[in-house]
Amino acid sequence: MNMHKLTSKVRRRAVLAGASLAIVLAAMPVLAQDLSGELVILQWQGGTDAEMWQKLEADFTAKNPGVAVRELVVTGQGDMRGPMRTALLGGEKVDIIINTWPAFRAELVDAGILRPIDDLWASAGLDAVLDPSWKDLGSTAGVTYGVNYTYGDRSAIWYKKAHLEKAGVEPPKTWEEFLASLDKLKAAGFAAPIAMPAKYWAHGEWFETLLLRTGGVEAASKLAAHEIPWTDDIVKTTLKKYAELLKAGCCGTPEQMFAGDWDYSADQIFTADASNYLMIGMWMNSRARNDYKLNEGVDYSIFQFPALGLGHDDTSSVDAKEVAVTANGANPAAADAFAVYMVSKDAADILASYGYASPSKNADPSLLGPVQQVATAAVAQSKVQFVLGDLLPGDLVDEYRVQLQKFLQDPSDATIDAVTAAIEAKAQELY
Amino acid sequence: MQETVASRTVDARPGSPARSGGEQSNRLATRLRMGDWPAAWLLITPVLILFGIAVVFPLIDTIRLSFFDIKGLAKPKFIGVGNYVKLFTDPAFRNTLLTTLTFTISTTIISVGLGWMLAMVSAFAPRQTLPFRVMIFAAFGISEAVAGYMWIGILRPDAGGLLNAVIGLVQPGFAQPWLGDPRTALWVLIIAASWGGVGLPLMLCFASVQSIPKTLFEAAYIDGANHWQVMRNIMMPLSLPGVRVAVFINLLGALRAFDIIYILTGGGPVRSTETVGYFMYRESMTQFKLGYGAAATVVLLVAVLVVSIPAIIQRTAGAR
Amino acid sequence: MIGRAPRWPTIVLGIFGFIWIIPIIGIVMTSIRPLAETSRGWWRIDSFTLTLSAWQRVWEAYPLAPAFVTTAILAALATVGTMLLTPAAAYAFHFLKFPFRRLLLIIIINAFVLPQQVVIIPLFQLWRELGLIDNFLAVLIPYIGLSFAWSIFLVKNFLEDFPTEVVEASRIDGAGPLQTFWYIVLPNSLSSVFATGILQFLWTWNALLLPLLYLRTNVPLPVILARVNGTYELNWDLQSVAAIVTTVVPLVVFLIFQRQFAAGAETRTGAKD
Repeated sequence: MNMHKLTSKVRRRAVLAGASLAIVLAAMPVLAQDLSGELVILQWQGGTDAEMWQKLEADFTAKNPGVAVRELVVTGQGDMRGPMRTALLGGEKVDIIINTWPAFRAELVDAGILRPIDDLWASAGLDAVLDPSWKDLGSTAGVTYGVNYTYGDRSAIWYKKAHLEKAGVEPPKTWEEFLASLDKLKAAGFAAPIAMPAKYWAHGEWFETLLLRTGGVEAASKLAAHEIPWTDDIVKTTLKKYAELLKAGCCGTPEQMFAGDWDYSADQIFTADASNYLMIGMWMNSRARNDYKLNEGVDYSIFQFPALGLGHDDTSSVDAKEVAVTANGANPAAADAFAVYMVSKDAADILASYGYASPSKNADPSLLGPVQQVATAAVAQSKVQFVLGDLLPGDLVDEYRVQLQKFLQDPSDATIDAVTAAIEAKAQELY
Repeated sequence: MQETVASRTVDARPGSPARSGGEQSNRLATRLRMGDWPAAWLLITPVLILFGIAVVFPLIDTIRLSFFDIKGLAKPKFIGVGNYVKLFTDPAFRNTLLTTLTFTISTTIISVGLGWMLAMVSAFAPRQTLPFRVMIFAAFGISEAVAGYMWIGILRPDAGGLLNAVIGLVQPGFAQPWLGDPRTALWVLIIAASWGGVGLPLMLCFASVQSIPKTLFEAAYIDGANHWQVMRNIMMPLSLPGVRVAVFINLLGALRAFDIIYILTGGGPVRSTETVGYFMYRESMTQFKLGYGAAATVVLLVAVLVVSIPAIIQRTAGAR
Repeated sequence: MIGRAPRWPTIVLGIFGFIWIIPIIGIVMTSIRPLAETSRGWWRIDSFTLTLSAWQRVWEAYPLAPAFVTTAILAALATVGTMLLTPAAAYAFHFLKFPFRRLLLIIIINAFVLPQQVVIIPLFQLWRELGLIDNFLAVLIPYIGLSFAWSIFLVKNFLEDFPTEVVEASRIDGAGPLQTFWYIVLPNSLSSVFATGILQFLWTWNALLLPLLYLRTNVPLPVILARVNGTYELNWDLQSVAAIVTTVVPLVVFLIFQRQFAAGAETRTGAKD
């Protein structure tokens, strides 16, 4: 039944969806009713993201006139998982959950809220649309739950071209060049070349890519699963590399780092011209374009994290968003169709118009701006690992960020020992 | 009962019938109360129902939840006093107790103290100071979240922060990261949180002072007292009741503070500004460890009750 | 009150008054200037452009107008509820005799130590059972129920000063306890009831936590404000407008009623005459 509805849905989009789907459809002739009913989406995003979602939903309903999409909007402060959990625990039934935290997916699976989509994956021919690595990213314990519809490079360093030119610096390729560029930038009058937003969480970004470059994706995923302890040498080496930055005077005083969130750090680079480098996700792009009115690729750009020379320089940290379908939703057929729609060419085009990269093979990368193209190219050549902070259990994330703050206060070897021991102690309680 | 010099003095003023022959009328009142209970229950039943749903039930349920391990959406697991054991070994929690104490006491002292002083000062020129009292009251109507955004603009770490800019006039290039420095973060947070609280004690104490019979002041001035002595010996003791109400309402606010802490410091740097109220919210709402959050709540309740026992005894007496 | 007013109190209060409204000026400035000008400090006036763009955009981008109505309804109902029920209970506790009077009073007025966070989860589960999520009652009941802890304390404190003789006289004249309340006590304690009402109005108008969790379709202004804040965009100007819209009503209400407030919240020395 579901399958029929699904194929009908897919059939009408077959022209766009590529050869593999056409073959599937040829094998499954039209038996179909049109999709109908209400499709409920748990929406926690705001601003431009919410606007983009309304476009996606409008496009989907234009293609499936029988379906009416309703957004269940939740609001929160800080971590949006809080209001999402409240809504779900409150007995709200939704068909689609937008998720960006692998740890949260595991929680939803444990609670029996999500429905596996391995069958859908096969019947809709998603293997032809998404690489296996994206399927893995959307899986928990070997079962697929999420269709990744967008991703972002989290190992990119943002800079303003004029700053580097002023200091006579080329975007650095190696760690040594990077450290050397800090001195040149300081000589050019920038007291703190790296804007380090350590108020909430963004100081973890540097740690996370350094960890990948030190231990590779395997070590990072083992650490996330606590198969290696936080006191492992890989973690300590990572922190020592991080300490090299701090000792080179990258970021001003710890107090200055603690005072700002990433918004403030972005201001420091793009409007105050006081700092030069910011390591943050790709959402920075729309901020730079729309809010700072800068010219993408001309006024500012990104470079991928410099090569550390420890044998794992082909790694990148990424974030991703997926749509997951629920087990208790009232309209599973429409939910499945929507999940498939999200990796179609039309959806990818809408995403691209908002500056978001899609992992779908239906996507046309040339629609992306120059900065996103740099990022997608870098990710395409990398082994990717999901942002560590979103893989760890909530408690540990908190401890990890606080301990990293302690490390920023005093990046000595003794602190590194103390900090790793403290995170490990917390991890022992939790796993 | 909390009989003060103040009230006696005022009650003694001519034309006030309040306390004359109090004892006798109390006995009379007691007699009249017989047979009142149907009416009484009629009047308080709606209150009891709403209070029961909104306060008693959640309180009991919180105590129950505190014995369970709840992680996110997973099924609750009974763990006895496990949450409490964990709480008292959690350095982050112990830390919050001290921070809460500092935060609560300081904000109360600053807002009530300042409001009280300003009330007495403005009583010397009630009409002329009215617009300024209104300006200070205005802050009381502003929500914590909005106040948080307002203060961010003042406390920014660079020269774009108003505070740094003002100090920068004397000391060019001054850029203290107020909210990032563990030595200053809690104190600027306290000042920001007290800002909104000054209006209430100002108004309450001003009203207290206004209601002091003029004859008292006249007598004092005739005796050669100066402004300071009038303030110290007449206004201060006679406005104590206003102070009491203000302290009560301020404590309430300080224990509940969340938004302003979240916006200004996020509890940091390195947890130096985490109060128990913030901790509870973080544990239960963002981490969704409902059981642990509930245990923290119970501990806070017990702590507050212990601290406020003297006041409770006094108030119980007042309940006659 | 004390002869001719000296000058220094005005100067002292003036200084504090102006310091106190600086943050408010900041938020107004941010709302009427382009972001580019205020991003490095709203107080900078090297260039000053007046724009109402944020004031226009925010209404389109966010449902501020319906939220305004929702907030007004919620705050009004919660305020009326507290203003009706509190004096009745305070009167009963103060002048009438009934079993458990003392115990109930102690429990109620000591509940003020309860932080609001306590009620969130248990009530959430209760509302879910009762299907009250997204119903105004889900926030109105705790708004009113939680207010008793302080409101009964305030009004009862006022009644301590109420002349007992008047009550007794009324009873001797044959009035029942309810008539005495309605015709004698209530009309003469309106100022304390108003004070309670103003505080309750301010607090429910600004309440964020409960509506954030219990309401979905029609949400009040503070929730919208949290939404405006919770995006990745740089929108301090929109946030400022939303903040001003959220704040302006309680401010006006407060300023209009501040006289009643001051009179009513007064306790022992009471301005009852």
